Amino acid sequence: MAQEAHGALHDLLAVRGVTRRDFLKYCGSVAAMLGLSETMAPQIAAALEGAPKLMPALWLNGGSCTGCTESIAQVDTPDVATIVLDYLSFEYFETIMAAAGSWAEKNITKRAEEGGYILVYEGSVMTGQDGNTLFVGGGPENEGAKKGIEILEEAAANAAAVLAIGSCAVDGGWIAGYPNASEATGVAAWLQKKGIKTPVVSMPTCPVNPEWVVAMVVQLLLVADRDPAKFLQVTPMVEVPYNDPVTGEKVTLLMPKAIYGQTIHDNCPRRGHFENGEFVTELGSKEEAMGYCLYKVGCKGPQTFTQCPVTRWNRRASWCVESGAPCIGCGGLNWVDNNSPFLKRMSDMRIGDTFVQPGTIGAAVGAVAAAGLVLHGIGMKAAGRIGDGPPMEEMKAYDRKRLAKKGGDK
Amino acid sequence: MARVVVDPVTRIEGHLRVEVEVTNGKVSDAWVSGTLWRGMEKVLVNRAPEDAFWVSQRICGVCPISHSHASAQSCEDALGIKIPNNARIIRNLIEAAQYLHSHILWFYTLAALDYVNPVNALNADIADTYALAQAAGTRIADFGAVAARLKAFVENGQLSIFTGHEGWFGVGAEKHPGYVLPPELDLIATAHYLEALELQAVAAEIIGIMGGKFPHQMTSIPGGTAFVPTEQKLDDVLFRFTRVKEFIDTALIPDTLAIAPYILDAASFGGGCGNFLSWGVFEAEDLDPYNRYLPRGFVEVSKGLTAQEVGPDDVTEDVDHSWYDVPSGLNPKDGQTVPKFEPYSTQGKYSWGKAARCKGVPAEVGPLSRMLVAYVNGRPEVKSIIDDTLAKLSKAAGAQLQPTVLVSLLGRVAARNLEAKVVADWSIAWVLELIEALKGGDSSFFVTERADSGQGAGLWEAPRGSVGHWMTVEGGKIANYQVVAPTTWDIAPRDSKGVPGPMEQALIGTPVVDSERPLEVMRVAHSFDP
Repeated sequence: MAQEAHGALHDLLAVRGVTRRDFLKYCGSVAAMLGLSETMAPQIAAALEGAPKLMPALWLNGGSCTGCTESIAQVDTPDVATIVLDYLSFEYFETIMAAAGSWAEKNITKRAEEGGYILVYEGSVMTGQDGNTLFVGGGPENEGAKKGIEILEEAAANAAAVLAIGSCAVDGGWIAGYPNASEATGVAAWLQKKGIKTPVVSMPTCPVNPEWVVAMVVQLLLVADRDPAKFLQVTPMVEVPYNDPVTGEKVTLLMPKAIYGQTIHDNCPRRGHFENGEFVTELGSKEEAMGYCLYKVGCKGPQTFTQCPVTRWNRRASWCVESGAPCIGCGGLNWVDNNSPFLKRMSDMRIGDTFVQPGTIGAAVGAVAAAGLVLHGIGMKAAGRIGDGPPMEEMKAYDRKRLAKKGGDK
Repeated sequence: MARVVVDPVTRIEGHLRVEVEVTNGKVSDAWVSGTLWRGMEKVLVNRAPEDAFWVSQRICGVCPISHSHASAQSCEDALGIKIPNNARIIRNLIEAAQYLHSHILWFYTLAALDYVNPVNALNADIADTYALAQAAGTRIADFGAVAARLKAFVENGQLSIFTGHEGWFGVGAEKHPGYVLPPELDLIATAHYLEALELQAVAAEIIGIMGGKFPHQMTSIPGGTAFVPTEQKLDDVLFRFTRVKEFIDTALIPDTLAIAPYILDAASFGGGCGNFLSWGVFEAEDLDPYNRYLPRGFVEVSKGLTAQEVGPDDVTEDVDHSWYDVPSGLNPKDGQTVPKFEPYSTQGKYSWGKAARCKGVPAEVGPLSRMLVAYVNGRPEVKSIIDDTLAKLSKAAGAQLQPTVLVSLLGRVAARNLEAKVVADWSIAWVLELIEALKGGDSSFFVTERADSGQGAGLWEAPRGSVGHWMTVEGGKIANYQVVAPTTWDIAPRDSKGVPGPMEQALIGTPVVDSERPLEVMRVAHSFDP
């Protein structure tokens, strides 16, 4: 491709010292992230080069700890400076934007009127105390301040798509943990309740893994030409049914299949030790030094559908299990209630006010919920994926004993 | 007299509102408001005590490590657990990595834009920029490439994170008079702003390696640590600490000293309540909080530069101006959390934050508090760096500056960066200490024995200030949990006696040149790293 045929964006990148080689390498990593063949890279590059200007974006913090923003600051595929200066024009981004107060707030309204942007939403939707558990803006004595939910509705209604990043934005996260005193909920359920039809892509884990967000941004901008309908067509999604207790909405959460399609256990480097029956039974022990499986100290890897072992964290420096800690399942729905006590294995699950054993859940709630929650350790195929591939593996002696014990291994 | 509001205060963690009254170009009164309530304490009740370690750190995505350590300590205090020496060192290292990450991120990414004008950097002469960098002893970057990148960015017309701020930076008559750096220094700082984004991530990788990930780490579980280091991991950690320390030595410290002479007026306001609390941080081998690397203590400057003893019983929280339906003046051990919103009123209730008080008075927390407590305790590393810096600034100011000058906006900014230098130096020594311990055959990382009931407190220090977790355990379940976070101290509203909180007091007296663009208000608010 001749240099003059390159689009405006590539010229922008070139002047900022991004070579064509870097650029294609980046496109290749995007393709790999999306589960596409790396031969897609030139097509992604062509899409990127054709983009005339940076796509406008709004980044809103709801009931957040700012951990997902922090997480995005830890990305290098590309780095955060490149995202903010060269890929997306963040016209609102509380944590890093220069402007403040009304100088910042008016950007949301202006952009919402003009349209053509993506909305990234971090944190829970705060509905408690009549929506006053979060408010922003306004003049003296709070005159004209807006509730967090009002700002979300304004920004979401006219967005091309919403990325609900981190578990809080997906289903309320830890804030929605029992008793959910601030009545926190997720973006998809709230927008459905309000009749706002903008597509929402849900991306759990606490915080979100930044490489996944970047992959989705690039997918929308470049592969799907900023067209949300095309974006949904070309991005394989897992459809996760969810009954939201705060809004009463039954929603179908869309999660990118390349990221949320397999369990941590499926891809865990310690999986071999699981198969061999070699377990860590005490944290920080000599078994840990040998890298044995953390299943017996509560690892929720078998029931948690994320790509953590593949992508890893902090620019691929490590991840939870590699550092010796059992997975706490922060990528699951209602993760705090469903997965605590974190150091116990599949026991004492909390549904509302009651504690139940996983066996009971499997029987009572049926296969879909069970697939998301439990049963995985005693047979991968039981986890909603019966019918494909080789037959289920044998039940492990440890599991047989455990399940035979009344009340599980408390 | 005019009311000026900044909401949202951007470039912070969370949601903060500042309302001030400006009289004759100075802030005459101030109300600071936390505008988000989530209910962490209620979520923790009735769960396993260990689980608080994972959940409670999610109160803050910028200082989760410190919350996780305070939580683990409250559990260990309640259940009678003494962690192994290896776990102590590893926790110190994870904590140190967060300090370095946080301080670099604060100075360059969050606070710098109150002083540095990247648009003005376009007027810089590249050759002069190199000369200035060399004279200031600060890090050389490819200043020409940075200028070209900036130019293309500005000319593209889409200002991204600078949208809405063009009037503040501006040019000519529209330029905010508070941006006073020469264009060459603006360019140096902008180049380091971009580099800092890389270095804060390198520091966070250390937490990733030893803690599984950042934010929200996984390994400092009550009882010790789940992380068992290998030779390779230790090497990965040491290499990264060395890189970060180099950046602090060659950019953060010289940049601070290069910018300070242009903002010396910031030594004359922004001081605040003058009471400084530090719970102490970075555990020494004897686990004595008064012997921590940055020790515990409480300094009331009006009573002289000496540190008093201070403990969990000295803390109370008032709610007279906060949206809670609970009694005022409770100690967190008996604290309650019952939200009740009513219309915002600066005369009545105006914040989701409680008014934390130490020995009955407001207390500032953060690097300035820690450095002052360490200074009056004669901690040699702290004493020498503060004395050296005061000597250098005295030269620039043309007058002999005393340590009390630190009680100001300038002092609060400088203290944070000096602390980064002290912690960076220690971190290297702690990796070597861990290596020696392991070579000596110590293979203990975690203890499992523990009681199933008890009451305890974990009092520790986040980069932004004192953090306390109070836990009551009954029959293996959490019966009560209360958190007093750094921001609870610093952004506290008025208390039962009507006394304003630390940030409110620091704002009073702050000059405001242009009430449409209250840059000085942002500077004071940001200096607390709220």
